Amino acid sequence: MSHLLAITIAAPAIAGALLLLVPSSARLAMRVVSLIGAVISLVTAILVATQYDRAQGGLQLLETVPLVPSLGIHLKLAVDGWGVALLLLTGIIIVAGVLASWTVARRDKEFFLLLLVLVAGVFGVFVAQDLFIFFLFYEIAVLPMYLLIGIWGASHKVPAEGPFTFTWKRFDVGSKEYAAMKLTLMLLVGSAAILVAMFLLWANSGARTFDMQVLEQTKFPIAVQHVVFPLVWLGFGTLAGVFPFHTWSPDGHASAPTAVSMLHAGVLMKLGAFGVLRIGMVLVPDAAAWWAPIVGAVAIVNVLYGALCAASQKDLKYIIAYSSVSHMGVVMLGIATMNAAGWNGAVYQMVAHGIMTGLFFALVGLVYERAHTRAIAKMGGFAHTMPVVAGFFTLACLSSLGLPGTAGFVAEFMVFAGAAKGSNWWWAVPGVLGAFVTAVYVLRACKAIFWGPPPQGEFAHLEDVRRTEWAAPLVLGTLLVVFGFWPRLLLDFIDVASQGYLGRLPVVVALAQVVSP
Amino acid sequence: MSPSNLAIIATVAPAVAALLLLVVAPLRHKGAPAAWVTLLGSLVSLGSAIMLLLGRVDGGADVRVTTPWIQEGSRAMAEIGVLIDGVSVPMLIIVCLVALCVQLFSVAYMHDEPPRAYGRYFTLHAMFLFSMNIVVVSPNLLQLFAGWELVGLTSYLLIGFYFAKPSAAQAAVKAFWMTKLADMGFLFGLLVLFVATGSFEWTSTPSAQVATWVTALLFVAVIGKSAQFPLHIWLPDAMEGPTPVSALLHAATMVAAGVFLVVRADPLFAQAPETREVMLWVGTVTAVFAAGLALVQKDIKKVLAFSTASQLGYMVAALGAGQAFAGFFHLGTHAFFKALLFLAAGSVIHAVHSNSLEDMGGLRKKMPLTTAAFVIGALSLAGVPGFAGFFSKDLVLGSLEGKGHWIPWTLLMGSAFLTAFYMGRVVIKAFWGNESEKSSHAHESGLAMTGPLMVLAIPSLASGFLGGWLASQVKAEYHVHLGLTPIVASSMAILGIVAAVVVFGRGGKAPFAGVLEKLDTFSLVDRTWASGYRIGLLGIASLAGWIDRYLIDGLMNFTGWATLEGGASARKLQTGLVRDYALMVVVGVVVLVLIGVLR
Repeated sequence: MSHLLAITIAAPAIAGALLLLVPSSARLAMRVVSLIGAVISLVTAILVATQYDRAQGGLQLLETVPLVPSLGIHLKLAVDGWGVALLLLTGIIIVAGVLASWTVARRDKEFFLLLLVLVAGVFGVFVAQDLFIFFLFYEIAVLPMYLLIGIWGASHKVPAEGPFTFTWKRFDVGSKEYAAMKLTLMLLVGSAAILVAMFLLWANSGARTFDMQVLEQTKFPIAVQHVVFPLVWLGFGTLAGVFPFHTWSPDGHASAPTAVSMLHAGVLMKLGAFGVLRIGMVLVPDAAAWWAPIVGAVAIVNVLYGALCAASQKDLKYIIAYSSVSHMGVVMLGIATMNAAGWNGAVYQMVAHGIMTGLFFALVGLVYERAHTRAIAKMGGFAHTMPVVAGFFTLACLSSLGLPGTAGFVAEFMVFAGAAKGSNWWWAVPGVLGAFVTAVYVLRACKAIFWGPPPQGEFAHLEDVRRTEWAAPLVLGTLLVVFGFWPRLLLDFIDVASQGYLGRLPVVVALAQVVSP
Repeated sequence: MSPSNLAIIATVAPAVAALLLLVVAPLRHKGAPAAWVTLLGSLVSLGSAIMLLLGRVDGGADVRVTTPWIQEGSRAMAEIGVLIDGVSVPMLIIVCLVALCVQLFSVAYMHDEPPRAYGRYFTLHAMFLFSMNIVVVSPNLLQLFAGWELVGLTSYLLIGFYFAKPSAAQAAVKAFWMTKLADMGFLFGLLVLFVATGSFEWTSTPSAQVATWVTALLFVAVIGKSAQFPLHIWLPDAMEGPTPVSALLHAATMVAAGVFLVVRADPLFAQAPETREVMLWVGTVTAVFAAGLALVQKDIKKVLAFSTASQLGYMVAALGAGQAFAGFFHLGTHAFFKALLFLAAGSVIHAVHSNSLEDMGGLRKKMPLTTAAFVIGALSLAGVPGFAGFFSKDLVLGSLEGKGHWIPWTLLMGSAFLTAFYMGRVVIKAFWGNESEKSSHAHESGLAMTGPLMVLAIPSLASGFLGGWLASQVKAEYHVHLGLTPIVASSMAILGIVAAVVVFGRGGKAPFAGVLEKLDTFSLVDRTWASGYRIGLLGIASLAGWIDRYLIDGLMNFTGWATLEGGASARKLQTGLVRDYALMVVVGVVVLVLIGVLR
């Protein structure tokens, strides 16, 4: 029995612990240790993918260590097809994230430490098969964000306006402390809801266990389900940016340093969606089926409203942040369809959006580091001096708007197909409209930043990608195209899991069969 | 080699070229090697296409090879592959031949570009040919859509090739947005078809209602891609791109993809007479409207751009009349003669360093080969008997004759007259008449540029005689017969030329030129879309942005504020004075006692 999953989680955590032993002056050593930790987890994630038997499906590579048997808590790790895809995503993003943080100057040891702890938590969530452990890892992943944004973030001013102007006296809206606090508080409220849902499941499971495999087989009373599902949806949904609890995201992502934005939008938001899917949809399916129309309707608001908000932004990071709100709406829409196409699309979109937004934030970081501004109105003609950045940025834009040949298309197309096939076929209409609005705002930004006459004055000599900075955009950009042309690389894993979970849910199967030909 | 492998090679060869250029940056940055790599890729494609053609001449059967692209459970949700039949092989030949000519022409035409830009140009050309071939060989509508979007991408990047120019940048995004807007129709059409039949095959037979929906939605995408009224406005702006790009993408191949789509999905369209009726009228209106505007353009490329929209209108009208073959035939001949016209125009622009017809004049003595090429293209476009354009246009018009389509028939005949008239104007203004200051310094382009012109002149003259063969390939009926349509059509062409000589030979202006110019400069359609974008989209967007910042997030801030303020108020209860706490204890006891008593 291999311990691949345990190693995947432990590698960054151990690297983080080793960092404590490295003197603060040994900056290169610090980075190398972090990178090794990240690379080990990426390699083990790839090994997990190669060892996972798709023909068999289900949970594999199981490892169990009893923690508190009397309460039914076990350290139970195993991976399903969704987990394989999301482990790979996390591995890719953390490697790219460490590389993108190479130039962090202030308190870099603490920075890398927190980054590694965070990612260990993320890996843990994707493979935890015990609800208690799931929640534990979830919190480990979410909480470092407070420090990462509060300490290493950037502040800006938001003018006081509107009916709530008086609140400006209490908060420094737009500052990094404000962003960090808002993010943490909103997510903690979500966690509280999840905690309640968790204990409700535990108490009503009969066996008094947190084991998710046992909980899956349990048929919870419908009344319990109807309490649990909304708690799970909104609790995890807050992290997935579900409207109207998404407002931590634009400020948070705009204030966060490059690697933190990459990780947060790239993988952390996926934890939220994954929680709704893995716990909400799979554990309490009857309530999920009842709530699905509402989840889908809200997801549509996310898609369209998020895209429109993005179109109105003048700050580059806000555009990308709102685009995440919009794209996570696509994920939630896929989840709400409760059929294979929709679920496959949702998980694929998690990966596609993770890579794409990681690429976006990495490039925005590069531009910001050189131009020292994020206001797109001030930029223009940057493609003359930084053609490589311009090329990769365009690629990220294309995936964002769902162009065939990029991962974004495969994901969005499957979600829309799933929606059209489901009982609420009209969901596909605002979904596709949202993709059009995306085309408008990403290409507008692309044109404003990179096209136009050669830059003058302070921007005349911006440097293109340096040698050490090549890695992240190259890896992420290549993957966007590879996953766009060859979706089965990942989809075969994802589909096995979707089919497995759907097959066990009689309600859902009946729902899907209403319209299938 | 098996036909399916040949088709795959034809598709993938340019992709290999593009990938090589993208990965091996020095090749791209040096410029000239990029041209060779791209040309080699295109040559391999053309070679494979010719071998496929020879296979079909030998009586080879249709071949369809697919592999699952998206797997769902035990079945393939989507497939990719190649389809080799009487539609894809001729189309492949047309695309690869024109692409190769255009790329060869570009080697000299783009010579003055800096090496990096030169390399980027050819990389994009390789990407385009790959994308276009995906469309051509696709065995189902989903793959066709993927290629359709990818050609849109290369079009966007090539229109914006001179991205330092704000007008080019604007034209590029405009083209992308307008076509993307229309492409939503394609996507919806695919979804409807998928839900109804579980596949993306154009051979599927859904109910009449579904067929109507699917075809109507697909046609929306055709309106965008093939620059039909009222989405045609991106095409004239797209002339900001380099002239060879206009020749290949925005005249010969990419814009014709819309027509190709309808030819492909003919079995679906056959079940939807309502959609066809709409197509007939959209095509007719575009043909006439664009021909009218072509008459007053001062920029030689814009004349050709409006002419392209107009000719695509003919094809769409033929498709609307249910004559897919007529549309396909005209697509083929048009690809040759319009590419020829654009490249000849490019040769002129290269010589006089201007797009404006005012800066040309009297060029026939200085540039005899270019003049000959342009005149051949113009005669073919005008539909003078014997030239390629005559046969295909005759077939288009003939398909409307006597089927209750007399009004479109008459309008398109009028447009045929206009076509000859506006081409006459361009030929006279550019090649006859007095020399301008700029044209007096012009001299004939080198063989690198005139060579491709001569190659394209051959099919522009003669491809009309291949109608019978093409018809046999797509199993359509084709008879050349002397009837009302060919007589009227050829009279229109000749009358148009004569009228042009009479009017423009003396330096006159077209009748109604004033009205048309006003129509052109006011550009109502353009303005409508622009205000739709500004008010409808950006306006709503800034409203949404404000609501999010100040209402939705404001409520969150308010929650925080209320908690803090509430805490601050509640804190006042904690005075720290024993008498206050004693009072509270007493009040509490009294309240509890009262509750107990009253129950």
